[in-house]
Amino acid sequence: MKAVGARLPRYDAHEHVSAGTRYVDDVRIPGTLWAKALRSPHDHAEIVSIDTSAAEAMEGVHAVVTYKDVHKNVHGHIEGLGVPGDEPLFAETHVRYKGQPVAAVAADNEALAIRATEAIQVTYKELPSLLDVRKAFDGDAPQVHHWGNWYPHFEGEMDRRQIRKGDIDQAFEQADVIVQGVYRPAAIEHIPMETQVCQVVPEAGGRFVVYSATQAMYFSMGVVAAHLNWPLNKLKFVGGTTGGGFGGKVDSATETITTLLAIKSHRPVRWRWTRMEEFLCSSTRAPWHMEIADAVTKDGWILGRKMLTLHDAGAFARFSPYGVTKHAFHHTGAYTIPNLEFNGYVVYTNRVPTTAMRGFGVTSVSFATETHIERIAQTIGMDPVELRMKNATRLGDTSPNGIPYVDPSTVPVIQAISDAAGVELSAHSRTMTSAMRSGEDLPEHLVAQMGNPEDH
Amino acid sequence: MSLNITVNGASRTVNAEPLTPLLHVLREELDVLSPKAGCQNGGCGTCTVLVDGEPRRSCLLPIAAVEGAEIRTVEGLAPPGQLSPLQEAWIHHYAAQCGFCTGGFLMAATAYLENGGSDDHTEIAKALGGHVCRCTGYVKILDAVSAAARGDSFDLTTTAAGLHTTLKGVDQ
Ligand code: FES
Ligand code: FES
Repeated sequence: MKAVGARLPRYDAHEHVSAGTRYVDDVRIPGTLWAKALRSPHDHAEIVSIDTSAAEAMEGVHAVVTYKDVHKNVHGHIEGLGVPGDEPLFAETHVRYKGQPVAAVAADNEALAIRATEAIQVTYKELPSLLDVRKAFDGDAPQVHHWGNWYPHFEGEMDRRQIRKGDIDQAFEQADVIVQGVYRPAAIEHIPMETQVCQVVPEAGGRFVVYSATQAMYFSMGVVAAHLNWPLNKLKFVGGTTGGGFGGKVDSATETITTLLAIKSHRPVRWRWTRMEEFLCSSTRAPWHMEIADAVTKDGWILGRKMLTLHDAGAFARFSPYGVTKHAFHHTGAYTIPNLEFNGYVVYTNRVPTTAMRGFGVTSVSFATETHIERIAQTIGMDPVELRMKNATRLGDTSPNGIPYVDPSTVPVIQAISDAAGVELSAHSRTMTSAMRSGEDLPEHLVAQMGNPEDH
Repeated sequence: MSLNITVNGASRTVNAEPLTPLLHVLREELDVLSPKAGCQNGGCGTCTVLVDGEPRRSCLLPIAAVEGAEIRTVEGLAPPGQLSPLQEAWIHHYAAQCGFCTGGFLMAATAYLENGGSDDHTEIAKALGGHVCRCTGYVKILDAVSAAARGDSFDLTTTAAGLHTTLKGVDQ
C-alpha cells in the first residue's frame, strides 16, 4: 500500500510527450497496402449474391477476401469457456447489423481501396429488423437468429442466467411495501482517440507479424489462429501500445481480416478504421433493460429482490454471456439481500454487437441498484445513507451466488464518503464496522443467509 | 504538384495533389508521425500542428493552402534529448495516459503559452476547446498547462526518470 498516494512514474510518459511512442498506425513498412471493408448497409438482410470479380480485376488491387477465404468463418470469442460461436468473420448467408463486414480489399492506396469495395456487387433481400430488446420476446418479433432472439447456452442449457436464493415468496409476503423501478442505461461508444487499427507484415519464412492495438494480445492471437486453423507459431503479435481502449479493443475486430489480406496479397497490409466506422460498427457498451421489485420493511430492511435483466448483445453473443453472469453475481450491489429471484437474458438485436466497457456488466447494475436504493428511501421516508448502512454487506454475509464475503468494504467506504461529503451519520452507523452481524444488525431474516468466511 | 513547406525548421519539397490534407503529407510522405488521424474530420484535435505559429487541424488543411508555411510539430518542440517546460509539466502532472491526444494538445498549448497565455484554467480551456481526450478527464491537462504558464519547475525523477529507484521499496 506504499504506492497509494505516492508519486509513481509512468514508464511511457517521456515517450508520449516527445513523439517517441509508436502506435500501430505509426509502423512504417515499405510497400504497405491499405485495407478497406465492404460493410452491410442494412440492419438485417439475406445475402442473395456476392460478386467480387470487378474489384479483383482493378489495377492496384492486390487482394479481395470474403467468407470463402476463411478456414473457420464462425468462431466464438469465448468458445474456450463453453460459449458456442455464432458470429461469422465475414457475413455469408445473412447480414445481421449495419456495418457488418461482407468483404475486404487491399489496394495500393486508401482511395483505390475505397473504389474497390464499391466495385463489389452484393445483392440483398432486406428482412425486418429487431432494434428494441423489449420486443424480442413478442410472438411476431423479427427473428435475429434461426434459434431465436436470446442466447440459449447458459449452464445446463438454460436460456438465461438465473439466481434463486432463500425464499422469495415469503419475503414478499412479509414485506410492508414493494418498491419497483425500471432502469435503462443506453449504449455508449468507447470513442478511443485511436480508431481500431492493425498492420500485418508477411515474413520470408512464412510467419506473419501482426501489429495490433488490441487490449488482449494473446486472446486476439488465439482468435486469428482459430479462424485460419494455423498453429500459434506462425503468428507473431506486437502490441502493448493502445491509443485508448476502455474495453472497446478486446473484440479482435481487425486482426484476422488484415492477416487474410496479407496472406492473399503477399504484402504488408494496414487497416485503420475511420471515425465513422468506429461510431457505426465498432462494438459499444450494451444498452440494458433492468426491472427491479424489492420487498422492503417500514424500518428499511430489504427482505427480497426480484429482478429481470435484458442485456442487448447486439447481433452476436461475443462476451455478453460473461457480462450477464458478472451482472447477476452483483445484482444486489454493495448490499445484502437474503431472498432473490434473478433472471438475466442475453438478447440479440440487429444492432452492432456490444462488449466490455469499464466494469463489464457491473456498472449497469450499480446504476440500477443505487438509484433503486434512493427510490426505496423516498418511499419509506428513511435517510438513504442510513438505509445503505443498514443493508451493507458484512463479514460472513453471502453474495447472490452464495459466496461468503471475506473483505466487504461497504461500511468503511460509506463512512469515508459521508465524512468527505459532510454527511452526518447516526451514532450507530458511525461506529459500525464490517464485523459479522450481531444484535440489532442481525435480524431474524438475515440469519439463514450467513456463511462461513473461511469457506470462501 | 510540387511545393515547399518548412517542417520543424527543415525545408521539404512535397509532390502531392493540391487538395491532399497536410496531415496525410506529414504522416505518409514525410514520416512526421506525431500528428495523429483521430477523426480526419476536424472534430478531435489529434492532428493539430502549428502553421506559422497558429494551431491548425492538419486533417482539414489542403497542402496547397500551406505552401511556403512554417509547420511545427511535437518533433520540433525541443532539441533531441531535451524537453520544453510544457513537455516537462505534462509528465509531472500525469497529463498523458494513452498519449494519443497528447501531440495535438501540446501544440495548441504551446501556441497558447507563446502568445502569453496565463495560468487561468478557464482561459486554458478556451484555448484547448475542441481537443478531445478520452483518458485523463482534462483536469491534469489544465494543471500541466497552468504550471507551465507559471514557470513552475519540476523534479522529474519522481515522475519520469528513475523508474526503478522509485519502485524499489514500494510494496506492490
Ligand atoms: S484528425 Fe484532425 S481534428 Fe481529428
Ligand atoms: S491520453 Fe488518451 S486520449 Fe488523451
